Amino acid sequence: MGLVEWVAGPWQVGDWMWRGMLTVHMVAIGCAVLGVFLYLRRMSLLADALAHVALPGIAAAFLISGSLDAPVLLTGAVVVGLLSALSIETLASRPNIRSDAAIGIVFTSFFAVGVILLSTVMRDAHIDTECLLFGDVLGVTDQTIWLVVTVVPAVLLLVVLFYRWLAVSSFDPRFAAAIGIPVTLVNYGLMTSVTVTVVAGFEAVGAILVIALIIVPGATAHLLADRLVVMIAIAISHAVASCWLGMYAAIAFNTSAAGAIVVVGGILYLLAFLFAPRHGRLLPKSGGKRRRSGVGDQRAEREGVAT
Amino acid sequence: MSENIYIERALEFLTFQYGFVPYALGASVLVGVVCGLVGTFLVLRGFSLIGDATGHATLPGVAGAFLVLVWLEGRGIGISGELHNSVALLVGALVSGGLGALTVGLFSRGPRVRRDAAIGIVLSVFFGVGIVLLTYIQGLETGRQAGLESFLFGRAAGVTPGEFWVLATAGAALCIAVAVFFRPLAILTFDEGYARAVGINTPAMEIGLLGALSVAVVLSIQSVGVILVAAMLIIPPSAGRFMSGRLTGVIAWSVGLGAVSGFLGALTSYVFEGVATGPAMVLAATAFFVLALFFGPHGGLLWLWLRRQRRARAEGGTA
Repeated sequence: MGLVEWVAGPWQVGDWMWRGMLTVHMVAIGCAVLGVFLYLRRMSLLADALAHVALPGIAAAFLISGSLDAPVLLTGAVVVGLLSALSIETLASRPNIRSDAAIGIVFTSFFAVGVILLSTVMRDAHIDTECLLFGDVLGVTDQTIWLVVTVVPAVLLLVVLFYRWLAVSSFDPRFAAAIGIPVTLVNYGLMTSVTVTVVAGFEAVGAILVIALIIVPGATAHLLADRLVVMIAIAISHAVASCWLGMYAAIAFNTSAAGAIVVVGGILYLLAFLFAPRHGRLLPKSGGKRRRSGVGDQRAEREGVAT
Repeated sequence: MSENIYIERALEFLTFQYGFVPYALGASVLVGVVCGLVGTFLVLRGFSLIGDATGHATLPGVAGAFLVLVWLEGRGIGISGELHNSVALLVGALVSGGLGALTVGLFSRGPRVRRDAAIGIVLSVFFGVGIVLLTYIQGLETGRQAGLESFLFGRAAGVTPGEFWVLATAGAALCIAVAVFFRPLAILTFDEGYARAVGINTPAMEIGLLGALSVAVVLSIQSVGVILVAAMLIIPPSAGRFMSGRLTGVIAWSVGLGAVSGFLGALTSYVFEGVATGPAMVLAATAFFVLALFFGPHGGLLWLWLRRQRRARAEGGTA
């Protein structure tokens, strides 16, 4: 069997390959673009929190409405997601709770509630907990496909429309506020977009692996580029490459496609971490060494944790 | 009467009607103790979420160790005994969890990698590796994969007496190690620069703390699960900060609240069918945290509010 047949093979047997690839590309690209902005805002771990919190959001929406329709579940997830973001901010404003502890307290508690709801009162509701956690790329339903092909382009359109607001407030929120950009609104808009994208991708990639799709492309792009547009382009390329390589790896080893996509993404990040032309650890250019151990940088890193 | 069933079950549990109950209870309380102890140092240093990364990072180790066991068995060198099997899984968890913690520590030392991103990357990518291995195991034709899922959300009832004694011994060793290195750890926690100035080997202490974190996580995952172990590292110490202004006080409150949460978690998951130990334990801890947030003597909202009222009244009186 030649390489071409091997690559073409899965596309010719049934339609699961088309469906899976379409869904996972949509989710991965949406997550990658949003992830770049989250990364620049040092809000990567908020993505972690929002992804975990979407689980109780979905559970609560189902409990209240009794329906499993996408708009209902999305609304529930967004409401609970924003609620958790508000609780995190409120807790973090106490002098003896740091912001990372606030994130950790809120999302684990919400997640625990979600798990208990799913395993007790919702046991008969045909929600597959394992699927919500780990995803099932090859078994996506029509509803999920429709959801991602509407939600992700809409989110990307919003990013394009509000690109300048997003960009300026990501790099310098004070300056953004000074020139009249509604920083808080942009912030909550971004969080809502993340939640919506995460929920759309739930069935395909699951609650925990979607975190990788958000954080890893942006982090890779930051190792390779300095300009925002280039970063976004690299993040999207990273997402697409992970999808293709991961999908075929999953087929070859007969394992979870979502997991394989995430692992490939991680390997790509590691390659960038080691071999990036200017910021790679193994190929230091002149001057790189001193910058790396700069005290100011480390202090900024320390103080910038999850703000 | 449905309430009677729950009361009956609670009594059943508390009077140790079944042989596994004391061990399930002990393992859950142990989680509260070791996580409360190690978590305090992490929370005070602003390193809370590294526990989340370490917890998720143990999954590939558990699955990988399982695969190694299956492979060895296929070659006729099977390890005898359930206990050896589960110890092997825990060693796997320790290796990959420790690797995850060290990777966060290593990756976040540099201008181009942010610590929060490093935590997120390690957490999700290691978990991805774990899922890949777990899915692969589910496709294998061995009848023994049952039990691996209980690592996700924890099942204290599955802790056997032999396993419990292994966990308890390691937990005791961990507590002794923290006690021995208490002073340098405390100095490092509050003032890294000063610690270096007085000659404390800060990199070694740092790695030691990450090692202690990995051990605490590994001792906990059977009861609380890999996803929620972070909660037990973060929530009890955060509650402790509202209860005391001294490090030893915070540790004592954190360990105590953690242990009680562990107890309540084990009890709840026994009484209510379908409730896993981990989430129940976490919600108990959250309840204590909320109480501490309002009524804690150090920065509790109620006292702050009262003080503000009194000040407003005093100002109103002078005006």
